[in-house]
Amino acid sequence: MIKKLIVILLASLLVLLVLLSCKKRVEIKPPVPPPTKVEKKAMPVEEVEETPAIAKPALTEEEIFKAKTLEELNIEQPLQMIHFDFDKYDIREDAKPILEKNAEWLRRYPTVKILIEGHCDERGTEEYNLALGEKRAKATRDYLVILGISPDRIKIISYGKSRPLDPGHNEIAWAKNRRAQFIIIAK
Amino acid sequence: MRVFKIFLINFIILSIIVITVFNQQEVVIKIKGGMPTIPVALPKFIIHSDNIEIIKAAQKIREVLQADLKFSRVFELVPEEFYSYIRPLNPQNIFFKDWESIQSNILIVGEVASSENNKLIFNGSVYDVRSGRFIFGKKYRGGIKLVRLIAHKMADEMMKAFGEKPLFTSKIVFVSDRDGNPEIYMMDYDGYNQIRLTYNKVIDLLPSLSPDRTKIAYTSYRRANPDLFIFHIYTGKTIPISTQGTNYAPSWSPDGKRIAFCSSRSGNHEIYITDESGKNLKRLTFNKAIDTSPDWSPTGREIVFTSDRGGTPQLYIMDAEGTNVRKISYGGTYHDSPSWSPNGDKIAYVSRVENRFDIYVLDLRTNQIIKITENNARNENPSWSPDGRHIVYSSNVSGTIQLYITDYDGRNTKVLTSKGNNKMPDWSH
Repeated sequence: MIKKLIVILLASLLVLLVLLSCKKRVEIKPPVPPPTKVEKKAMPVEEVEETPAIAKPALTEEEIFKAKTLEELNIEQPLQMIHFDFDKYDIREDAKPILEKNAEWLRRYPTVKILIEGHCDERGTEEYNLALGEKRAKATRDYLVILGISPDRIKIISYGKSRPLDPGHNEIAWAKNRRAQFIIIAK
Repeated sequence: MRVFKIFLINFIILSIIVITVFNQQEVVIKIKGGMPTIPVALPKFIIHSDNIEIIKAAQKIREVLQADLKFSRVFELVPEEFYSYIRPLNPQNIFFKDWESIQSNILIVGEVASSENNKLIFNGSVYDVRSGRFIFGKKYRGGIKLVRLIAHKMADEMMKAFGEKPLFTSKIVFVSDRDGNPEIYMMDYDGYNQIRLTYNKVIDLLPSLSPDRTKIAYTSYRRANPDLFIFHIYTGKTIPISTQGTNYAPSWSPDGKRIAFCSSRSGNHEIYITDESGKNLKRLTFNKAIDTSPDWSPTGREIVFTSDRGGTPQLYIMDAEGTNVRKISYGGTYHDSPSWSPNGDKIAYVSRVENRFDIYVLDLRTNQIIKITENNARNENPSWSPDGRHIVYSSNVSGTIQLYITDYDGRNTKVLTSKGNNKMPDWSH
């Protein structure tokens, strides 16, 4: 009985040994991957955002207009300047659609008051250009009045040739400088 | 009859000789009616001082006096080297024959001494060389800084002694942007002592100096509109004169009591007269066209101005009441900026031909026109010297706009300014 027991014990021990030795061999077999090659899976980043701002009720064009200062308005130049022919002060055909657009804008904002500046190129005398510049500003005002803009909303000033846009002495510069410009003075 | 014939031939020969002689004298004849320039001897001054400052000041007075006399077109200076051919000057005992031998008609003896308070005394004595007669003398005392003024005063006395209008102490007002924006400045006739008069920091235009040189009438945008103001140079007071519409191109009447100017206060550019308080406004023109650029005749009875009533800007003269308008310009499509000469016989003006602006002078008696500038540039705003022999004007011939001075015949042109742009000169009368 004891013999039997010892045999079983030995056998189980053997089996255990064999098993152990087998395990060891299995463990050695797979090649150890180099540590650098370990790739960590990138973590998905979750953007943390504030809760969306509460939307204000959309502004009307009038409200946008009201929010702007005179200075900001004049930088935007909603009223486009017009140009004149040499020695002339009558409104050119190409200036008429521009003035119509300007009149439309002025009708949309009926509180606006403007100053029309009349300018000349350098090819006139100082004195005569002061008169010509005013005639240009006046012709521009008169055209806006015909288009329904009240003359009370329009002031005029002549600068003669003292404020050229382009300081050059050629046809291109002269054509640029013969102009009527619009400044918004009240809104 | 025969005698008459000989006389006639003689007369013709004589006339030819006279004409040839006069031709050598050039255009001086035109204005002085045949009187050539007077040769003047201006030897080195006698200096009664060891003070180096006084010695330098004496040299400066002589230099400025020489420049003034040379400029005058009335006098000419005897060449400097001639003085070494004769005995040195002894003010107590002048050998007039010596001075006659070097072809001088007039001798100016200058003496300079130091005075208390770092001042100097200049004593100028003027002699007629042929007769040895003393003509006049002047004694000035002033600080060393005032040597230019002392010399100009002496030169003015020379003009007066020979029946001419003084001009060397006169002033020119003008517009300069040298400090950033167009402001009014003033200077001596020779470009020295340029000083700023206005500080409006916008645009100032077209100044006119009153005959007593204490006020300017000018246009300023200081109140966001081209208004006309009178500025009292020595009190700092500024008075608005006309402030509706565009107000510009003022001209003082010769008596200094009224100002003619252009204004669009009625809606159209018209000529007005007012007094120096801006009161008693009177409108002179009633025309749908542009009427502008008024300038008084030296008598104060008439006004020359520009009008485009005929289609293009032309020159007209009217009585100072606005009546009797007549056109004086011809041959051209663009004339402006008329300036009436102090002698009353000439109008200087600007004429535009193919983008060039030149100064012309119209002789009202002969109706002849002389072109003064010829430089393919824009020459503008002529203004006469008080004696009517010189014209100051602006030109962009150098690339920037500067002031130039020239003689009535376009000779001896000289630049007066260099900093920034300088324009719209007005020479006090």
